[in-house]
Amino acid sequence: MKQVFSACLVVVALAHPALSANITNKDPDPAVLVIVEGDNRMEVAIAAGSTEAVCPSGCFITTPSGDRIGLEGSENVDIVKGSAVIN
Amino acid sequence: MMSRFSILLAALLLAAPVLAQQPQQAQPTAQQPANGNAQAAAPAQSQPPAQDQATAQLDQATKDLKRLSAAVDGARDDDNRLADIKVEVDAVGKRIIATSVATRPRLDEIKARLAELGDPPAEGAPPEADVVTQERKRLTAERGAINALTGNAENLSIQATKLSNSITAIRRDLFSNALFKHTDISWGMFGDAVGSISAEYQALSRSIGSWLTFAWNYKRFALLSSIFLSLCAAFVLVSGTRRLFYPLIRNKADVSEPGYITRLTVAFWSTMVPTLVMVVFSASSYFFLNTFNVLRSDIAPLILVALGLGVVLVFVSQLARAVLSPREPAWRLVNVSDHGAALLFPAILAMAVVNGFDYFLATVSEVLSSPVVLTVARSFVATIVIGLILMAMALIRPMVPSPDEPQSRGKPWPRAISLSFVVTGGGLILAALSGYVGLGRFIATQIVITGAIFVTMYIGMLTGKAIAKQNALAGTIVGRYLERRFGMEQIALDQTGLAFGLGIYALVILFFVPLILLQWGFQIADIESWAYRFLTEIKIGSITISIVGIGAGILLFAIGYFVTRWFQRWLDGSVMARSRVDAGVRNSVKTGVGYLGVGLAGLVGISAAGLDLSNLALVAGALSLGVGFGLQNIVSNFVSGLILLVERPFKVGDWVVTGTTEGFVRRISVRATEIETFQRQTIMVPNSLFINASVGNWTHRNKLGRTDIPVVVGYDAAPRRIMDMLMEIAESHPLVLKTPSPVAVFSSFADATMTFELRVYLADIVNGTGVRNELRLAIFERFREEGLAKPFTAEPEVEPEEPIDEAFEAADEEDVPLLRPAEEAAQRSGTKRRPRRIVGLASEPSEG
Repeated sequence: MKQVFSACLVVVALAHPALSANITNKDPDPAVLVIVEGDNRMEVAIAAGSTEAVCPSGCFITTPSGDRIGLEGSENVDIVKGSAVIN
Repeated sequence: MMSRFSILLAALLLAAPVLAQQPQQAQPTAQQPANGNAQAAAPAQSQPPAQDQATAQLDQATKDLKRLSAAVDGARDDDNRLADIKVEVDAVGKRIIATSVATRPRLDEIKARLAELGDPPAEGAPPEADVVTQERKRLTAERGAINALTGNAENLSIQATKLSNSITAIRRDLFSNALFKHTDISWGMFGDAVGSISAEYQALSRSIGSWLTFAWNYKRFALLSSIFLSLCAAFVLVSGTRRLFYPLIRNKADVSEPGYITRLTVAFWSTMVPTLVMVVFSASSYFFLNTFNVLRSDIAPLILVALGLGVVLVFVSQLARAVLSPREPAWRLVNVSDHGAALLFPAILAMAVVNGFDYFLATVSEVLSSPVVLTVARSFVATIVIGLILMAMALIRPMVPSPDEPQSRGKPWPRAISLSFVVTGGGLILAALSGYVGLGRFIATQIVITGAIFVTMYIGMLTGKAIAKQNALAGTIVGRYLERRFGMEQIALDQTGLAFGLGIYALVILFFVPLILLQWGFQIADIESWAYRFLTEIKIGSITISIVGIGAGILLFAIGYFVTRWFQRWLDGSVMARSRVDAGVRNSVKTGVGYLGVGLAGLVGISAAGLDLSNLALVAGALSLGVGFGLQNIVSNFVSGLILLVERPFKVGDWVVTGTTEGFVRRISVRATEIETFQRQTIMVPNSLFINASVGNWTHRNKLGRTDIPVVVGYDAAPRRIMDMLMEIAESHPLVLKTPSPVAVFSSFADATMTFELRVYLADIVNGTGVRNELRLAIFERFREEGLAKPFTAEPEVEPEEPIDEAFEAADEEDVPLLRPAEEAAQRSGTKRRPRRIVGLASEPSEG
């Protein structure tokens, strides 16, 4: 029974990093982020109020406020007033 | 909301390691004093800049990348080294991201503080305090520094990814170059090769000879003692294992028809024991030779490869012998004919020997730095030999013939298999002849090794199948142990066997598929990332499916379900039973908790599986339409079930009547209530019937109830006397209650009879039938003793003027058939008053 439980825990724990980073734009205007994932740099526009799932395996984003932020790939990020709030 | 909940749950599970990590991260930051960074010109009491550490880490990462990049240049033709470097590069990439993640808290602090300070005053506005301006400046500078740092990290990360990708490209080129390199095969080449062979042979014998002479002359004692010691170790192992497993392996003769699991066990041990002995011998020999400094740098690899070759050959030959069992058909693991087993065994062995020998010679060439032409020639020969063996294998007749054919011959392979043997063998030979020796050699090696893995996998699968077979586990040692230890029943054992079987399948696939991939040149990191991808995100169009997520969802649901059941049991058995809660309430609470728990578990499971609950709104919308049309019955029954639980018009064990159904309630479930009739028929009554129609419950508040016995007598009897007699009879019955006291009623007149009713109250109405029966018997006997009229309807048409005595006789015979069906009918519809049924004949005229 103990083993069954520990196996359950392992599975659940493994399930956790399966999530990718979710970026939600809470501003009234669309936010343009620069996302560096792997070896390419791309601009991603997120419409007001919408959520994008990006970079499951870690990346860097540059927020409209000019801050650069490293993400491990499991965070929930809100864009508030052009800068990132990480939950 | 729910996804947040699941994240929270996962976070909780991961909390322990995270908590353990945080202090580690925090400590160096705290320990580092503000050692003169450009930005750290800030006052010492403010937080020490986290950038110091991050900068150091990034510098280290830069150095690492430089080093690794150099290493890549140095190892452009070493595939294994490149694979290792790639793993390192990926690790550096991860570290870079982690470094910049670590600066995030400081950035957040700065932003928060800047927000507190507010924007600098506009022009014309009153100037702010100097301290504020200073601090804003400092914070802005620090923010810029952190951003610059993260920008650095970003570039480094790109660099790392590029390096990693370039390694992949180099490896791909390397692989295709090695495979598709073309060599001209000519007689001249073979002439050169023969020349080099003799040169190599001389070189080899010279170096071995010189080593032996040296060892014999100077290290005689060490050489002999190391051989002696390793022989000793092997001998100890042989005698030890022999004692342990000898009975198992060698009493084959005693068993004439061994079961599959027995055969498998014997095959396993008879493979493992000799292999283990060989491993111990080889390892100890090499260890002792090495420790006593007997080996020389040119001899050591040769000895190592030779010993390894010995291990592999022993393993392959023992495995092939165990599986094919050429001499003893009863012990064969795979289903092949005698002829097939006898020929397949040497063929497999020959392929293993050729491959092994080729590998050994390759090592020799490497050690002696022989010319390339020799390697080509050797690979050429080995490829052709393996191709020939493969083609020869196509001629073997391994399939088991039908029972009427001679057993020894066997049927040929199915056409597809024999054709594939011929094509592969021919292809190998063609590839070698046309100059693609590398390709041929690669394929030949892969065929042998992959084939071995496939065969092992197949046997594993057979094992799973054998164990999953009905009642197979019960006959094994494990089965007997389980039976003894846990008292498992036949069915439980059977199910355990099935679970074991499926588990073995899963293990076989989990173990061998990566093994095959590794064999084909994929790296562990690749396989890991694939497996990760496969398990976490399968993309079909725009939908992403995560197997782990679904598994976790199912698991969470199962956990929730079991927890609910446990909680229900605990609540019912420990809490409510002791607080003397009414059985009906107990049942309702238990069921309600069950619905709630399962519903919650379902929600948690669904959200953990990654289904967005907001999508369910759509489904709910569609469902509501469905409810409107077709599902309304189900839903109304479900809701009725909930109302029944709350309102509790009846509980389990009650005697209820609804419509034409009467009986005891056995179970109240979601859609229907189970009612068991007196004839033991179970009737599922939809719950809505109980809500929409009137329900009679004989045992609602208590079990007290009245039962009536009609008594019909002729006009020649004295009514008061009869009523007194009925009262006496009722009062003398032990089960009839004194209060409310029984009542005898003169209920109606008929043409030729008077009807009386004896109404008695019983403490438990469920006993009604028995009590009525006894009372009737007593009435009948009493009437007969007293010589009164018979206590039932006479049949006026049959014998209207019968003398009393004779009428008694006639009625006596009719008594049974007359009373019994009436009784049964009265029972079936408990709400109806019994008198009407029984005295129908008598009362109808009186009504008319």
